[in-house]
Amino acid sequence: MLIQTEAITKTYELGAAQVQALRGVTLAIGGGEYVAVMGPSGSGKSTLMHILGCLDTPTSGRYMLHDQEVSGLAGQGLARVRNKEIGFVFQNFNLLPRIDLVANVSLPLLYRGSVARADRRRKAVEVLDKLGLGNRLEHKPNELSGGERQRAAIARALVNDPSIVLADEPTGNLDSKTGREIMDILDRLSAEGKTVVIVTHDASVAAHARRVLHFEDGIVAREDRR
Amino acid sequence: MNLAESFAAGMQDMAGNRGRAIITTVGIVLGVASVVTVLSLMHGGQAQTLAYFEELGGLRELRITNSRSDRVFMTAAERASERLTYRDAQAILEECPSVLTVDPEIVRFLQVSYGDETFQMKVLGTTRHYPYADDMPVAVGRFLTDQDCENYANVVLMGPTYREDLFGSEDPIGRIITIEGIPFTVVGLMEKKEFYFRGGGGPGDRNVLEWFNLSHYIPITTMIKRFTVSDELGGLEIAARTVEDVAKLEEEVRTVLRRRHGVEDFEIDSKQEGVQEQAEQQRFFNIVFWAVAFVSLFVGGVVIANIMLSSVTERVREIGVRKALGASGRDVFVHFLVEALAVTSIGGAVGLLVGLGMTAAVDRFLGMPTALAPSIPLIAFMTSVAVGLIFGLFPALRAARLDPVEALRYE
Repeated sequence: MLIQTEAITKTYELGAAQVQALRGVTLAIGGGEYVAVMGPSGSGKSTLMHILGCLDTPTSGRYMLHDQEVSGLAGQGLARVRNKEIGFVFQNFNLLPRIDLVANVSLPLLYRGSVARADRRRKAVEVLDKLGLGNRLEHKPNELSGGERQRAAIARALVNDPSIVLADEPTGNLDSKTGREIMDILDRLSAEGKTVVIVTHDASVAAHARRVLHFEDGIVAREDRR
Repeated sequence: MNLAESFAAGMQDMAGNRGRAIITTVGIVLGVASVVTVLSLMHGGQAQTLAYFEELGGLRELRITNSRSDRVFMTAAERASERLTYRDAQAILEECPSVLTVDPEIVRFLQVSYGDETFQMKVLGTTRHYPYADDMPVAVGRFLTDQDCENYANVVLMGPTYREDLFGSEDPIGRIITIEGIPFTVVGLMEKKEFYFRGGGGPGDRNVLEWFNLSHYIPITTMIKRFTVSDELGGLEIAARTVEDVAKLEEEVRTVLRRRHGVEDFEIDSKQEGVQEQAEQQRFFNIVFWAVAFVSLFVGGVVIANIMLSSVTERVREIGVRKALGASGRDVFVHFLVEALAVTSIGGAVGLLVGLGMTAAVDRFLGMPTALAPSIPLIAFMTSVAVGLIFGLFPALRAARLDPVEALRYE
């Protein structure tokens, strides 16, 4: 199994108050699945994404990736898992504004280490090409449209060939036509066998997935499969 | 990510934000520039002191003089002593193993005439070991020889100052001048000696070695025979075999002279003491200089720390993104530290140039002596790296410790 969680909880301390964002989430996602995590804000779906993406660790419970426990890892180890296994796609793209697309897309290769400079560039250009940005290589993010930016962000998520693409409201900042283009790309990735997990509150986005996990109050309230 | 790649990432970032880099650099430029200027001033002062003492003669020499004491308060033993004599000089030469040369001298102010011209002049009775002879070569002719002393020869070397007054443009060698009515053959002409301390007062600077130029030199034996009632010396210059032997020689001389005089009515001075004294004074100025340089560096460093900190705050989101893409805390730490180092290294290089300019200006317009030591570029570089490390450390740690989730959420 690619992803397996067992009774994951997450508790935040907000001053004196304690907020339970996750209250025992147990789920399994196999390689190549196309999953949407849905729910209103505050339902815990973002927290789950952070934990699945190894940006955060659960308060209790176990998280296994490739049958290896990662919930026990700390700083350096988590960074390595994020780098190799996870490709993030954010709502607001999160491209670095001062460097061009090639440099942005090369970043995961840079942090991976042991990839020669020329190889980094070659790979970045290859992925950007595949996403139709071959003519935008030397452009800075602010010289691009929203759709182009999100495509660049997807290129960056794919460049290290991760096990999972984690997309957090990938169409949230885009108009509906551009949003559809981005969803087409994610569909295509899934069709090519990539594991895609989308976090969204938009039912039309979730409709692209084969499996939808409905979050409410920090637990999986319901699950739909198609 | 290895160090070289972190460096590349840091540099890439600097290039992307020139404005901030430039502002940050200004602080360090001023700091390094003042360090460079201070070092040049310090070296200049030291070099001038050493040059002065070298002009005066080497550091191997000791000067022995009669101690000044009022006759009224003299003890019987002091009164009985003959004071420093030419015979003392010969005894030192024979009895002190560490001695290389002995140069007794007797100074008198005597009437020197040539044709109708007569001047009252300083005449030094000395030997071929006159210690300044090496530093003050004979311009024309020769210096005194051992034969001159053995033969009580009536020969004289002229200082350059009166040469024109006496001879005009004529060649003085071989001419006869009279000293107190006794004819002397001119065998040589000393070269003009000049040494100006700079900053003493501009155009009014006095040649502190002018007294050399006013003197005439005759064999000491002739001086004793013709012009003095005793062989009492005004002073005695002796040289040790090596600089290391100077202290030993001082003791040997003290022993010999105490035995001969029965009392310690003489003083022995080494030029090293003078050098040390000058060095002490110099040290005080150096401390002040360093304090000024340190304050400027500190201010530059605080500016860097400040701007780096605000840059970390400004880039919290970016740090979150980098971490999401796989940057470890260490990667981010190195990244920010490298940025600080890049800024300070560039600042150091510019500061070095500005400092060299300031040094030239101080030298030119304030008339203070400066000297450029070869170590200055190295010190400037090391200083800027040190400032970058010290003041970049805290901001870099802060960046490294940011929680990625918090950082990504940051607006």
